[in-house]
Amino acid sequence: MAEPFIRIENLVKAYQRDTQSLTVLSGLNLVVDEGEFLALMGPSGSGKTTLLNLVAGIDRPTSGRIAVGGQEIHGMGEAALAKWRSRNVGFIFQLYNLVPVLTAFENVELPLLLTDLSRARRRKQVELALSIVGLTDRMDHYPRQLSGGQEQRVAIARAIATDPKLLVADEPTGDLDARSGEEILVLLERLNDEFKKTVVMVTHDPRAAARAHRLVHLDKGVLKEDIRAEGGKKEVGMAAAIAASAGFEPRP
Amino acid sequence: MRLFPLVLKNVFRKKTRTALTIASTVLPLLVICLLATFVRALERPDPAATRGMFRLVTRHQVSLAVPIPVTYADRIARLPGVVAATKFTWFGGVYVDKSAKNFFPRFAVEPETFLRVFDDARILEGSNEEWLADRTGCVVGVESYRKYGWRLGQKVTLVGDIYPVNLELTIRGVYDLPEKGTARAIFFNRTYLEEALPSSAGQTGTVYVKAADAAAAGRLPKEIDALFENSPAPTKTESEKAFQTGFIEQLGNVKLLIGAIGFVIGLVVLLISANTMALAARERVTEIAVLRTLGYTKRTVFGLVLAESLALSLTGGLLGLALFSLLEPGLKSGLSNSPAGAFASNFKLFPEVLALGFVIAVGVGVLAGVVPALRSARRPIVEGLRQVA
Repeated sequence: MAEPFIRIENLVKAYQRDTQSLTVLSGLNLVVDEGEFLALMGPSGSGKTTLLNLVAGIDRPTSGRIAVGGQEIHGMGEAALAKWRSRNVGFIFQLYNLVPVLTAFENVELPLLLTDLSRARRRKQVELALSIVGLTDRMDHYPRQLSGGQEQRVAIARAIATDPKLLVADEPTGDLDARSGEEILVLLERLNDEFKKTVVMVTHDPRAAARAHRLVHLDKGVLKEDIRAEGGKKEVGMAAAIAASAGFEPRP
Repeated sequence: MRLFPLVLKNVFRKKTRTALTIASTVLPLLVICLLATFVRALERPDPAATRGMFRLVTRHQVSLAVPIPVTYADRIARLPGVVAATKFTWFGGVYVDKSAKNFFPRFAVEPETFLRVFDDARILEGSNEEWLADRTGCVVGVESYRKYGWRLGQKVTLVGDIYPVNLELTIRGVYDLPEKGTARAIFFNRTYLEEALPSSAGQTGTVYVKAADAAAAGRLPKEIDALFENSPAPTKTESEKAFQTGFIEQLGNVKLLIGAIGFVIGLVVLLISANTMALAARERVTEIAVLRTLGYTKRTVFGLVLAESLALSLTGGLLGLALFSLLEPGLKSGLSNSPAGAFASNFKLFPEVLALGFVIAVGVGVLAGVVPALRSARRPIVEGLRQVA
């Protein structure tokens, strides 16, 4: 049997708040196969963003093991982990988090500046990433000159610029209107289907979750449900799964 | 170097704040350079040429304002290693009016010995002989001569202020000195003053001494002061440059004062820059967390913030140095028209002062940036991402 792309074993994350210890994840186990599109759902404070951060290597577990792409990241040193992130993970944030003084081109180029690529090669990579998200004509625009949906597309281009295998997205449609959100979801789906990216997405939105192959529900740091889409009817299946677990999800 | 454009873009992100911070570096650095140049001009060693070298000044031990007996000049002149000694009395007086622009030194001297002590003076018009032949004659510095449009033979009236007598002098010679900015004074025969005001006879403000060589110049101050140690008017003898510094230092310890002022100004620049950098880093907590997320290491983030601080202070610093270089001729000119005009000749762009300005700019950049840079680098990524800009 092939090694899963992400393997999480007995994962515990606890925060120390003054004298109190707050356990966010309690002995969580999870495997994600390469090429999966996983949606993480759960009420606020359920630990989904914490889990996403741990998988992406921007936070450290209190105990337990995390392996991504065959590399155990839970014990990596600071510099090694930073290097690993730059090569293996693409991040997509709810609020896009573009650097306002940089153009779309320069924002997408940011992760590439850490590589040994030549200027010409970097340019090619950036142009390719921007063409995938359909913003080649906006590469010289600053974030303030773009709509929210366009900003998020630039953020996605930045996330895929180094061609990572793993994309993590934290509420990628949370700050967008329905139409722009739909465009972003289509783009994520395409990156998963066409470019074989493994996508782990935190969302509160059932429509977003319906795009995924698999839905994992967390509650109080514990995995409550793990629902996989059936065959080719993934959207229908996921929608049903979401409907079935609707009671879980707080609505705004 | 790849990240330098990012550093520059961050520096100029808030244009007004950056411009104000740069201005707050430019002006203080200009002042620091001015102060350092003034101190350096005071300390500048005598020129290498023999002419004009090995000159000493003897004055009363208590103060320049207390006169010494004229007989001291003759006694000093008899010491081994002394080429000549000349009496020098500050007349003061008013020419045209009392404004600073019409201020220039006026001394009653002994022409014969004066010309031997000031052997570096060059007569441009008229002659020593004409001066020596006319008891009411005077020699004038070429700078004042040109400034007032004087002519040889012209009468110049000095209205007494320290001495209650007006002197009508006749210009008999125009002198120049090797270093620009020093040929401004009027020297006239002290006999004329003594005739006009007999009470001034018998005393002199200072005695200028020309030593034969460096060795004599080194030992003579002690020997001269020892000669009058137990007299009613003990003396203090210094080299001419030290004397000039001492003249200024009568206002207090000028160098210490200038140093203290420079330090405080530097500290203020540092605080302003540190505040700017702290604000800049605090405003970009999320952005820096995003960079870390993309794979930027703590060290890289530290370098980015520190480089931003350095770029800011160096921009201000280099502009300040450039401005100082541009203004230096004007500053020198202004100094030469002030009571401290004797130091104007030494006032120039000293490489060590420019280097000091550069070092201060770098120091301010590093010190102002190091704490925000450390904080930015050390802040956990997750904590940074949680902050809403």
